[in-house]
Amino acid sequence: MTPAPESPAVQARGLTKRYGSLAAVDDATFTIAENAITGLLGRNGAGKTTLMRLITGQEFPTSGTVRLFGASPVENAAVLQHTCFISEAQRYPDEFRIKHVLAGAPRFFAHWDADFATELVGEFRLTPKQRIKKLSRGQRSAIGVIVGLASRAPLTIFDEPYLGLDAVARQIFYDRLLADYSENPRTVILSTHLIDEVSQLLEHALVIDAGRIVIDAPVEELRSSAATVSGTTEAVERFIAGREVAHREQLGGLLSATVAAMDDADRGAARTAGLEVGPVSLQQLIVRRTGGFTTPSTTTHEEATA
Amino acid sequence: MTALTADTLPTTARPLGRRISTIMLLQLTNPMTLVGWPLMILGFIYVLNLAIYSLISTATSGASAVGVNGGVGFIWVYTLVMAVQSVNQTFPLALGFGATRRDYLLGTGALFTLLSAGYAALIATLAMAERAVDYWGIGLRFFDTSPDFSWLELFLGTLLILLLFASIGAATASVYVRWKATGMYVFWAGLVILVVAAGFVLTWTDSWAAVGEFFVTAGVLGTLAWSLVITALSSLAAYLILRRATPTNT
Repeated sequence: MTPAPESPAVQARGLTKRYGSLAAVDDATFTIAENAITGLLGRNGAGKTTLMRLITGQEFPTSGTVRLFGASPVENAAVLQHTCFISEAQRYPDEFRIKHVLAGAPRFFAHWDADFATELVGEFRLTPKQRIKKLSRGQRSAIGVIVGLASRAPLTIFDEPYLGLDAVARQIFYDRLLADYSENPRTVILSTHLIDEVSQLLEHALVIDAGRIVIDAPVEELRSSAATVSGTTEAVERFIAGREVAHREQLGGLLSATVAAMDDADRGAARTAGLEVGPVSLQQLIVRRTGGFTTPSTTTHEEATA
Repeated sequence: MTALTADTLPTTARPLGRRISTIMLLQLTNPMTLVGWPLMILGFIYVLNLAIYSLISTATSGASAVGVNGGVGFIWVYTLVMAVQSVNQTFPLALGFGATRRDYLLGTGALFTLLSAGYAALIATLAMAERAVDYWGIGLRFFDTSPDFSWLELFLGTLLILLLFASIGAATASVYVRWKATGMYVFWAGLVILVVAAGFVLTWTDSWAAVGEFFVTAGVLGTLAWSLVITALSSLAAYLILRRATPTNT
């Protein structure tokens, strides 16, 4: 099915939330398409969580408007019933076991899939009898992931859902999300700073920095706008002279540089110059665009274990 | 599978009753929290008192205690604790699951009204049972706080007390949910100032006797009926405070 020009799931105009002098979200105007996975990307404290709370009516805007499925989300049961917002540190009642979450959640979600939930519990190596209070950080994140996926809510929001999850569990999440999403299309917002890990999932990227939306573009378009060129240091340096370089990596006599703007002519020129032209990492692009810096080192992986 | 687009999504909310029962059932998902534990603890306290009273009765060769035991007050205080925990722990969860604050508050209000009524009926019934066995012949007046009250009077009196404690718990918790630690400092400081000021005014105007007279004239049930004012104000405060609160999960 090809999506016709759809009404957006979320529509924000001049959306602003101030806490005193701090603008957590600053004049954000954007739309989030229906039936797509949108990445809400940005650094810690960039305003991701506040933005998602505004979208779900949990936070009240200082100015501007936000529409969820065409209506204001604030205290609006008609549209909020279609949402599931899994917060990064979702708390559960002290005496809840996993089975209690699985028993309490379905009444909230019209499309809840109990079999799917049970399957996911096993896949994350949890058992329904486990007390949530005694679970590790990662296991508690897994519960959020399970509820978010099994809810099949027309708008499902995951706010940094992977905290504490190991690499295998994160991969399970990505695989399951993608598979279930293609069978049951819905609108998913995934907030994360592990950009490269999720970049394969995302159709659209919304990048927020210091409260402002700095990128609002399809991921494909972002990727094709830049490229890495690699070859001998000398040849690469000659090619990149005068161009905007997002990232460079030196290895012996070889240099690999990420060039921010590369159209087809530029790519052709690079190949003619004997350089290899490759795809670019979404993360590097975004780091560059959100006040990052050109660094000679490779991307750090400390975030992944943070 | 069809996509869940705005065109196919229901545009009306589920019926209010359904939304309220969803909130109530979420909090009862683990029945131990609001029903199992309080009943077990109450039973434990009762058995312990029974043992001690029997011991004393034996040691004093059959003397019987006089007056109310007071152990039933546990359930009053525990109702406050349950209200605090409910609001603090399920509010963020329910909102994450797509509930509105209003539905959450109505559901929680309905739940605690129902719980209070249940506990009040249980206590009034057990009080009648105590009378039937003549307090085991050792004067253990545990549930029967007012021997001249009928079942209905005991039920109403207990219900009013439990509602009072639940609403105070809900109001206190809502201050915490909305303003966190800062809110607590201001709240308790304000409360202390208010109590001291009230005492000061009463002393200054020499009105302590009038206060005492008020309670005597109103009687137990009359005084408890007046507590409805505090119950209503606390419930309203909880409602208004949480209507503008943002759940933060901390």
